[in-house]
Amino acid sequence: MSPSSRDVHEDVAAYALGVLDEEDHQAFERHLMSCEECQAELRELSEVPGLLDAVRQDRSNSLTGTDDDRASR
Amino acid sequence: MPVPRHLDSRLESAETDDDVLVEVLYQEFGAPLLRHVRKATGNDLQWAEDVVQETIVRAWRNAGRLHREPGLLWAWLLTVARRIVIDGRRRRGARPQEVEPADADAVSVPDGSERALEAMIVADALLDLSEEHREVIEHTYLRDRTIGEAAEILGIPPGTVKSRLYYGIRALRGILKERGVAS
Repeated sequence: MSPSSRDVHEDVAAYALGVLDEEDHQAFERHLMSCEECQAELRELSEVPGLLDAVRQDRSNSLTGTDDDRASR
Repeated sequence: MPVPRHLDSRLESAETDDDVLVEVLYQEFGAPLLRHVRKATGNDLQWAEDVVQETIVRAWRNAGRLHREPGLLWAWLLTVARRIVIDGRRRRGARPQEVEPADADAVSVPDGSERALEAMIVADALLDLSEEHREVIEHTYLRDRTIGEAAEILGIPPGTVKSRLYYGIRALRGILKERGVAS
C-alpha cells in the first residue's frame, strides 16, 4: 500500500465526523464508493460523532462558556 | 439504527424515480435522522428539521452516485447532516443561542438522565485517550473546525491531524464499546 493510499483510508474518521475540508470531502466520497474496507469502517465509526455530541451538549448545559471564554475572562 | 431489510428493494426500485426516492428517504430515515440531528443542535427542533430537509435534498441531488446499501446510505446521511449542522453553527458563530431553552417536555431526546450518563462516560473515555488523540478530537469536531483549520491552530500538517484523528476515534470507539455505550 502506498503512503498516499494509506492516507486516503485514514480520512474515513474525519469524513465520519464531517470535518474534512471540502476538496478532501469530495475526494474521499469518490474513494468511498469503490472501497469496501472504508465502507465497513464508516459503518463502524458512524455512531461515534453522535456520542461525542453528548459531551458537547453537556458542556453547553453545565458551563457558562467554552474553555476559551473562561481563559479570557 | 436498525436498517430494515425490505429497504434494499425499495431503494432499488426508487432508482429510476427521484420523487419516489425523496419520499422513501423521508419515510425510512426522516425520523431517526431528526432524532440524531436534534442531539447535535442542542434540541433546537426548527433547526434540526431544516437540517434534515437539506440533507434529504442533498441525497436527492446526489442520487445518481449514492450507495443504495442502507447501512452505508445511513452513514452518508449522518455525515452530510453533520456537515450542515457544523456549517450552521459556524455561521451562528459565538453569538448567544437564539433558541430559548426548550421546555422539559420538548427536550427528552432521549431521556435526560440517560444522556447525562452517556456524556459522563464519553468525557471519561476522552480522558483515557493519549493527549495527541484527545487534542485533535477536541480541536476538530468538538469545536466545529475543519481539518485544515485545526492543523493551522495546532501547527501540525493536515495529514497528521487526519491520521491522529483516525487512530483517536478508533481508540475512542474501542473504549466506548468496552463500556457498553457503543455497539
